[in-house]
Amino acid sequence: MVKKIKPPRELLEKWKKEDEEARRIRRENADWNFIDRQPPKIRLALLVYIETGDIYKAAKIAGMTIGEFNEIRIRAKIPSIT
Amino acid sequence: MLGVLDACFIIDWSRYRRRKLLSKLFDIMYIHEEVLAQIRSTIAIEYVTELMMRGILRLYAWSDADETEFIRLRDDVSSDPRIPAVERPDILCLIIAKALNAILLSENVGIHRIVEYNPRYRNVSIWTALEVLENMVYKGLITIRDEEEFLDYIREYEEDTAHKFRRRRIEECIERLREWLRK
Repeated sequence: MVKKIKPPRELLEKWKKEDEEARRIRRENADWNFIDRQPPKIRLALLVYIETGDIYKAAKIAGMTIGEFNEIRIRAKIPSIT
Repeated sequence: MLGVLDACFIIDWSRYRRRKLLSKLFDIMYIHEEVLAQIRSTIAIEYVTELMMRGILRLYAWSDADETEFIRLRDDVSSDPRIPAVERPDILCLIIAKALNAILLSENVGIHRIVEYNPRYRNVSIWTALEVLENMVYKGLITIRDEEEFLDYIREYEEDTAHKFRRRRIEECIERLREWLRK
């Protein structure tokens, strides 16, 4: 069995902090009125995006391509963060 | 200079008012057909088409050796939840960038994290739009007299794409630019 390369603990801690910061920024910037007005599937996808920043996961939930979901993300004022 | 484009980068960059500058920064850029298949928005399709028509963007010829490397890298990638999911087309871009010694243009956090910890990929250069803008300054494609003017370019990009760069990364970038402006 192939042994997976694991990231060192310090890196995992750094990523955890980055993820928390990104989640906070997405939550703070989101247009919650817009999100509330969306159909359930889209609303859930937007919430998943706010939580994870994972556009693939969110697009799958919304039943959209990543490009289509990106348009909704922009209208919901949720920033993508790098 | 060679570049490789992934879908997340193209989707954002194609919305930027100064998107045409990218083709002046790179001599040739490559894209995988599976990345092309991910792009559906009209604005991004138009942008990619324009780059291909001008011969600046080319389709990468994927080989059996690349596919073997894909399987190896896919198996290497840790399943730790702190590495956001990366899809096959994103991994293909990383492999192409390594094979061509090209700069990978990607906004995919998962891919950035693989480069951070995987020893075989640590030497791959990976830029987000922030480093692209920074390098446009060095190449004289955008002119700035001070850091405030660079921040204006960042604001423009953030406004057009609804993308935000982390404060720490902007500060590091500004520090490098200050050094460059002093010379």
